[in-house]
This record gives sequence, C-alpha cells and structure tokens, in this order.
Amino acid sequence: MTMGWAWLILLLATYPWLLGADLASDTLASSSLVVFVSGACLIAPARRLKRWQCVLFAAGLGFLFEARRPIPDGALALPLVAVAIFLSSDRPLLRNTPRMLQGAAIVNTGACLTWYLAAALASDAPADGLAGHLLLQLLLAGLAGTLGLVPLALTQNAVMDRLGVPPAPELP
Amino acid sequence: MDQNRQGARASYVVLAVFVAAWILLPSAVRRFSREAFVEFQAPALHLVGKSRDLATFWEKKSRSTEELLAAGRDLARINAALELKLKGMEDMRRENTRLREVTRYNVPAEYLAVVARVASRDSSSWWQRIVIRKGRNDGIRPGAPVVFADTVVGRVTAVHLTTSEVDLVTSPGFRCTAYLEGDEQNRIVLINGVAADSLGSAKARVSVIPYDYLLPAGSPARITTTGMGGVFPSGLTLGYLDGGAYATQVGNFKESLLVPSRDLYNLQEVSVLVPIIQTPGEALMQGDQFQ
Repeated sequence: MTMGWAWLILLLATYPWLLGADLASDTLASSSLVVFVSGACLIAPARRLKRWQCVLFAAGLGFLFEARRPIPDGALALPLVAVAIFLSSDRPLLRNTPRMLQGAAIVNTGACLTWYLAAALASDAPADGLAGHLLLQLLLAGLAGTLGLVPLALTQNAVMDRLGVPPAPELP
Repeated sequence: MDQNRQGARASYVVLAVFVAAWILLPSAVRRFSREAFVEFQAPALHLVGKSRDLATFWEKKSRSTEELLAAGRDLARINAALELKLKGMEDMRRENTRLREVTRYNVPAEYLAVVARVASRDSSSWWQRIVIRKGRNDGIRPGAPVVFADTVVGRVTAVHLTTSEVDLVTSPGFRCTAYLEGDEQNRIVLINGVAADSLGSAKARVSVIPYDYLLPAGSPARITTTGMGGVFPSGLTLGYLDGGAYATQVGNFKESLLVPSRDLYNLQEVSVLVPIIQTPGEALMQGDQFQ
C-alpha cells in the first residue's frame, strides 16, 4: 500500500525544496535568473524507486515547475520522464556519491536548457544577445544542482527509508 | 539484465505514444492538468505571503511609541492636504461630466479596484511576472490592468481560484500604446517588453517614436498610457524614457528603452483594476489565457 504511493509521498516531501528554490528565485528576480533544482531532485529517487514510480515522480516535478510559468505544457515534464526511464534502467550510472553529483549537475543543466529553449520558442520576443544570459542561467542551474543534491538526497533517502523502499546497492 | 533492457525499451515506447497523445489531446485536458498543479501550489504561496506579512507586522510592532506618534502626525498633515485637493477634484469632476454631456463624449470604462498582496516574484529572460494573492474568487479577470498608485505594474495574464499571475511592463508578452511627455501632437508610440539579457533591471522597448520628437530638457520624459484599446485607463505612468532615442534601421522612426518608474520587484501590494463592464479586449482574451 505504502510502496505504491511512495512516489507521491516523496513528491510531497520534496516540494518544500522546490518552494525554497522558488523563494530563492524571488530574491534573484531583479537579475532575471531562476534557481532551478527540479533536475537534481530526480537523482536520489532514480536509484531506489521502481521505474514506473520514478516516471510518475519525474512527471510531477516537471509539471510543478511548468504550472506557473509560460512554458509549453509538458516541455519539461516529458524530457524529465525520459531521463527518469534512462536513470532507473541504468542504476550503476549513479553508483556512488561522486557519480550522483555529476548526474545532478548534468541532469539539472540539461533540464534547465530544455525549459529555457521551450520558453524561447513559445515567446514571440526576439532572442538577440541572450547567449550570455543563457550561459549564466545554465551555470547557476549546474551549481544549484550540485550544491543542492546532498541535502536533497538526505531528505529524500530519509523519507524512502521510512516508506520501506529497498536501499540502493552501493557499487564500487 | 535483459529483462531490465526490455523494460526500459517498453517504457520508451510508452513514453513516445504518450507524447503523441499529449500533442493530440484537446487543449482543455492540458489546461486542466496545469490548473491542478497551480492549485496544488496555491496554499504554499499563500502561506509564504502571509509569513512575510507577519514578519513585517512584528517588525513594525517593535517600533517605539515616539516613532509611531511622529508617523501619525505626518499622516494627519498629509490627510489634511489631500482633503483640500479632493475638494478641488470634485469641482473638476462636475465640470468634466458637464462637458462630456455637452459634447456627447463616450464615457471611459469604469473600474473596480481590488487591492492584492504580492505572493511571489518570478523572472527569467522569457517572463517577468508576479503572483498576487487574489483570484477568480475575488472577481479578478484575465486582461485586467494592474497598477500601484498612478503607475502601471502590468496586466493579469492568468487567473486561478485564489491567485493570479501578472505580466510586468517589462515582460516580453506585454504590449500597449503610449504618449510621450513633451510631444505636443500626442503621437502614439508602442511599448513592448523585451527578453532580459543582462543581470540589471529589465526594461521595455519604446518604438515608433516620431523622428522629429525631441526629449524635454532637464528631466527624463514620462511615458503615459493612451487609454486606447480599452485595457488601461488613460494618463497612467508606464515609466520614463531611458537616455536618448536611437534611429531604427529603416530610419523613419526612433527607438528607445523604457525604465519602469518603480522597482517592480519590491512591490508588496498592487491594485487590480477590474472593468465593471467587460471590455472587447477582455472578451477576446477569454478562453485564450496567456500561459
């Protein structure tokens, strides 16, 4: 019973982190930068949840980010689902903490690039001279993903332990 | 291991089918899912906003009695001055009504002001918006202008049950017509939000500035709304012209940038001007809410 809803309970437990990121974005609003951590939130669950649970968790993360922003529907959620399938099928990729940190940086930056491009396509404003700003946004996403992973993973692992989700095998 | 790979392959196939279905699904389904996720987050936004208000309340409560007395005295003086002004305005209003009746001039749309607290601010290159703690339940409608005193803050783009999203003047989706201070012929210029490309505060573009327009000496030119199009009442301040105006490639007009007259990211409270009678622009926006 609990295992089936583990993804939803984990999503609720992760939400305060997403809200925290939104509050940090609020503080940075005058610089037009978004503190994005949705990609990093996917790393720890991808090691332990079943594939279908991980897929639903990733979709929830994506839709939560898209809901209040002018991004085409599913533009972030569906790529995150694809990443969730990939990570939960190749668990040795996230076998230890350094690998998880690398994964968080890559997934978070990639997801950030995805929503940035989707928003650019949806907007009718010209994209002149935005390369520098995009680079800054990606750097911030990479940094937030790497720095945010450890506390995020600690929270998520604690919740998964309480829910009785089997631990991830530690591989060399 | 093979089973795992097969499972992964099957998952990718299911995802591809879902993506196709997602694209083909009626937009109402996508809008419903978006609305569900917005409403899920609304209580948290309210909580954050109310916590901020509580912090401000305690900060103000800690002020000394002397400070409060001084503030009260200042307010009483301002009130007295405003009351005098109000009396003058009443005479002007009567005169205005009389002249309108004489010339059979169409009465501009009347608005109902709904005061709303700002819950959060969100800004990237592609959007600059604030979320306010009033929504459909409070009578807010999409397309309604949002102001602070006589300054335009933006326009409501999406309305939910208890929250609304407001596109700021500098947001790429924002457009309106305006007059420039110092242009005696009252020629219309266009205001467009632009994608923010720097860490500095966002600005909007002012285009179609007449080639012979000269900036007033001494102070930056104020840009005001025209009242055309039925969205914004006329005479509201949009901002100021930033420095000089530059000739466009075609050369018939000039372009410049608009600096908002207030720091849009430090607003705590705004007023939403909800038209009492639905405007034609609003009717067009219904069912086509900007996302």
